Amino acid sequence: MTNLQEDSSTEQFERKPARFVPGQPDMWVFVLFESLLFTGYFSVYLIGRIQNRDLYLHSQAALDLRFGIFNTIVLLLSSWAIARCVQASREGAYRDALRDAFLTIGLGIAFLVSKVLEWVKEIRLGNRFTSNEFFQHFFFLTSIHLLHLLIGFVVMGVAVYQLWSPVRRSQQLVETCATYWHTVDFLWVLIFALLYVVR
Amino acid sequence: MSTPTGSPVGRFLWNFRHHPKRELWFAWWVMVIFYQLYGVLFFLVTRVQPPASPAWDTPMVVQWFNDRHFGLLAGFGVVFLISGLCAPMNALLAYSMRRMSVSRVFGYSYLIMYSLSAIPGMLVMAIAMTVGALRPDRDPELIHWLFDFAFLSFSGTMGVFMIGSLVWLVAILIDKNGVFPKWFGYLGLCNALTEVVVAPAWIFHRGVFAWNGAIAWWINMVVFVAYTACFIVLLRKMIEREDFGTGPLPDLPPKAERSQQDSVGAVQ
Repeated sequence: MTNLQEDSSTEQFERKPARFVPGQPDMWVFVLFESLLFTGYFSVYLIGRIQNRDLYLHSQAALDLRFGIFNTIVLLLSSWAIARCVQASREGAYRDALRDAFLTIGLGIAFLVSKVLEWVKEIRLGNRFTSNEFFQHFFFLTSIHLLHLLIGFVVMGVAVYQLWSPVRRSQQLVETCATYWHTVDFLWVLIFALLYVVR
Repeated sequence: MSTPTGSPVGRFLWNFRHHPKRELWFAWWVMVIFYQLYGVLFFLVTRVQPPASPAWDTPMVVQWFNDRHFGLLAGFGVVFLISGLCAPMNALLAYSMRRMSVSRVFGYSYLIMYSLSAIPGMLVMAIAMTVGALRPDRDPELIHWLFDFAFLSFSGTMGVFMIGSLVWLVAILIDKNGVFPKWFGYLGLCNALTEVVVAPAWIFHRGVFAWNGAIAWWINMVVFVAYTACFIVLLRKMIEREDFGTGPLPDLPPKAERSQQDSVGAVQ
């Protein structure tokens, strides 16, 4: 009897899916690596800021906060859209999921356009990559983030490809893509706080 | 076929002559030894890494060469001697991609790119540094020129490493044979992105983006060492799992079973 009980509990334990995170756990390893990497970049930025506080404050004042806020809202909305996409996909509402995936891409494009316009504005004001230490960090952090966003479009292409045909529709892949997109958003929020808000 | 005897030397000789994976293990050990030597030669003997500052004036650069005179000549002498070790190393990396369920294009392009990257990344740098150190009485301006040439040549390989990481990343993500875990593919993306960061080293002479900067060199080096350590361990696992088939690589049995199998294998 005891053996039977043990067997059934073991079976139950084995049958229970060992799922701790949405999507592939491998993508969460990437999130961890990227977080560590950006912690390094942010630390270098903060050390520079401590050493040259006046220059950083003066340069920060030249940034247009409206662009920063607009970009943050757009990217947060895109995260909301991809979360809805995952939810719809889980419920089998693939038409809605596709709509939300396209909404995510659209908001990503809005961020891209806004970011380029902001760069053009800063360059016209004479604030270039080589102008001073603050703008080195500004252009570096925003560029490397934008590169993540561009890769995000490829990732969203994978999500759309999965959702498009009933033959594919891997929920795990859709969630993996969503995890990547959230990482892009998460990194932007930190960059926004450091470059635009922290004084 | 003679059987392996109980002594370690006998077993080694038997494995050396008959082990079906001997070429793979040879390439793997070459890789381990090469990276150890690379670290010792570049960081301790020649002391060209971590890189010197590109902002230095000519007298400081000449002093830098004089301080390392013997180390540069002796260290790079050994570098020239071992540079051929890159071949089995790159072959093993390409083999890992050939074992995947992906086009051969991946393995071949990776092999060609990494074989070529050894020229500017290691040999050209070594030649420039050796030429600089060979005659300490040479025109200081020429020595400064060689200094810039060597470090720019070394940094210039980063684009190859970036594309190489991306080729490996795509191969791992679309592979159905499970040769490498997907997380290593994603780590490749992380590594590729840090290679992009080296590009500003062509613009800046000082600061975090110069070729010796905190972002362009130090953070990159940490990521690259982690990436390299991961793929050395994963290649070892790949060799252990290799069954010389074309389908998915089998998983390793639990450790206890493996040690039992080993002892049975040794007796056989």
